[in-house]
Amino acid sequence: MSTLAVAKKDFQDALRSRALWGLSVLFILLSLFIAYAFAEFTTEMGIEEQTAEGLAYFLASQIGLFVSVTAIVIAYKAIAGERESGSIKILLSLPHTRRDVLLGKVLGRSATLAVPTLIGLAAGAALGSVLMGEFAVVALGALLAMSLLFVVTYISIVVGLSALTGSTSRASMLTIGYFLVFEFLWGAVSFGVVWLMNGFSLPSEMPNWVFLVNQVPPSAAFTTGLTALMPGDIPAATDPDFQAFYATPWLGLVILAFWLVVPLAIGYWRFSKADI
Amino acid sequence: MAAIETNGLHKRYGGDILALDGIDLHVEEGEVFGFLGPNGAGKSTTINILLDFVRPTEGSATVLGMDAQADSQSIRQRTGVLPEGYQVYDRLTGRQHVQFVIDSKDVTADPDALLERVGIPEAGDRTAGGYSKGMKQRLTLAMALVGQPDLLILDEPSTGLDPAGAREIREIVTEEADRGATVFFSSHILEQVEAVCDRVGILRAGELVAVDSIEGLREAAGDGATLRVELATVTDNAIEIVEGVPGVTDVTQRDGGLTVSVGDGSKTAVLSALEDAGHEVTDFRTEETSLEEIFMSYTEGSR
Repeated sequence: MSTLAVAKKDFQDALRSRALWGLSVLFILLSLFIAYAFAEFTTEMGIEEQTAEGLAYFLASQIGLFVSVTAIVIAYKAIAGERESGSIKILLSLPHTRRDVLLGKVLGRSATLAVPTLIGLAAGAALGSVLMGEFAVVALGALLAMSLLFVVTYISIVVGLSALTGSTSRASMLTIGYFLVFEFLWGAVSFGVVWLMNGFSLPSEMPNWVFLVNQVPPSAAFTTGLTALMPGDIPAATDPDFQAFYATPWLGLVILAFWLVVPLAIGYWRFSKADI
Repeated sequence: MAAIETNGLHKRYGGDILALDGIDLHVEEGEVFGFLGPNGAGKSTTINILLDFVRPTEGSATVLGMDAQADSQSIRQRTGVLPEGYQVYDRLTGRQHVQFVIDSKDVTADPDALLERVGIPEAGDRTAGGYSKGMKQRLTLAMALVGQPDLLILDEPSTGLDPAGAREIREIVTEEADRGATVFFSSHILEQVEAVCDRVGILRAGELVAVDSIEGLREAAGDGATLRVELATVTDNAIEIVEGVPGVTDVTQRDGGLTVSVGDGSKTAVLSALEDAGHEVTDFRTEETSLEEIFMSYTEGSR
């Protein structure tokens, strides 16, 4: 009850953010454009077969960037901003525990981000399906479900980071730093790990476990996890071609589960002890 | 039963800043208690501990018979709070704010009636970002009143209000007290608590220096007299003579005369001492010590 009251308030509040709607309009237009391009210029783009599953993958390609950037924009101040301005005192004067506040924030901001994400995907899927005359319920359903999980995960990461500090400038550094390291620069980090493990030189052939390292960023885990849920046998670019216990697209879901829980738990641990 | 009880509350920030130095406070149920002190004396820190915003370094606190840390959620269910240094949600309307409290406490109440009661009926549909400071304060008071709480904690409720607004707050405090609620409210201005408080506690530099009724404070301050003496010429010698009179606690020179605080001493003794020494007293009058002076005497350390 308490969590839901916080979530509802937060949803009403965040939904009025102009930055959210600017990014959302961009994302919805992009989804429509992608669906149109996929349906109309299939051969020009060098795609062998036009399928609704292919459309789902195509639409998914924009999710990683949109969700990560928008999650940071709408949630980096979730806790730090309320602490800095003092509105947290209103929130915590009411019978909410700090855990209720954190979970309510994750729920409320996830709902906020889920709205444009689902609208964009549904619009793209509808346009593409109409143009192609083919509608793949399972593939598009898998995409929607996976995108929702991804939205909640990313919001949870950002809220968890936001709970570490009472200053919005520090919260923005934390979240942007996270994005830079785990999304933008992860290719270099991955190389660095291999270089380190190989005794400060690069091997002629990349070891298999690099696959594991490469799945660490949430958006990579999202893409990989999507192939686990997707029907049909379209080999995704990230599919592993070797044998190992971790060489399965389900790894993506495991990694998302990690990101869903761990940063938020650390954020809670710090926030629950803080003087506000 | 005690509505608020603290035992040896200490709070140290960052290792060396001592905000509270052993606060023992006892507020009875149904009482209107004024918590006084200059800014920075530790009033908000005490309140923040009662609400579990801040954890004490030492000591303990109970509110409505429950432990302030372990049972904080149950305490806040039965408490209405107007915190210090808060901010409203700029993008939510007045009604949404009050509704949020109603949802949070899981009670039934009419948001519009509450906004009406605090004098901002027009604020219901407007987002709070455009409110004046006074309107924000009234909105937060409306939120504190939701669900007829057993305890109201109001931290500097008159902040941002004009005198009429401050009076309306006092009226609401009286109404709530008549309903049976305990009201704990802090202020750095004694006048604002004088009319409504059963008792006041005065805080100075993290220590509770006095707890009494207003009348009790007045009595404790002596017969409460200030003597104003106009002299033909004010000399250092005149000041020395007055300072030497038994019972005189303070002498200040102002506009061709002396303002003399006389504790339990005799005022006529001051006058005769001056005249005996050859000073010409052109006029004199006595003034009752104002509450403000009593308050100052506690908080500025001259006692």
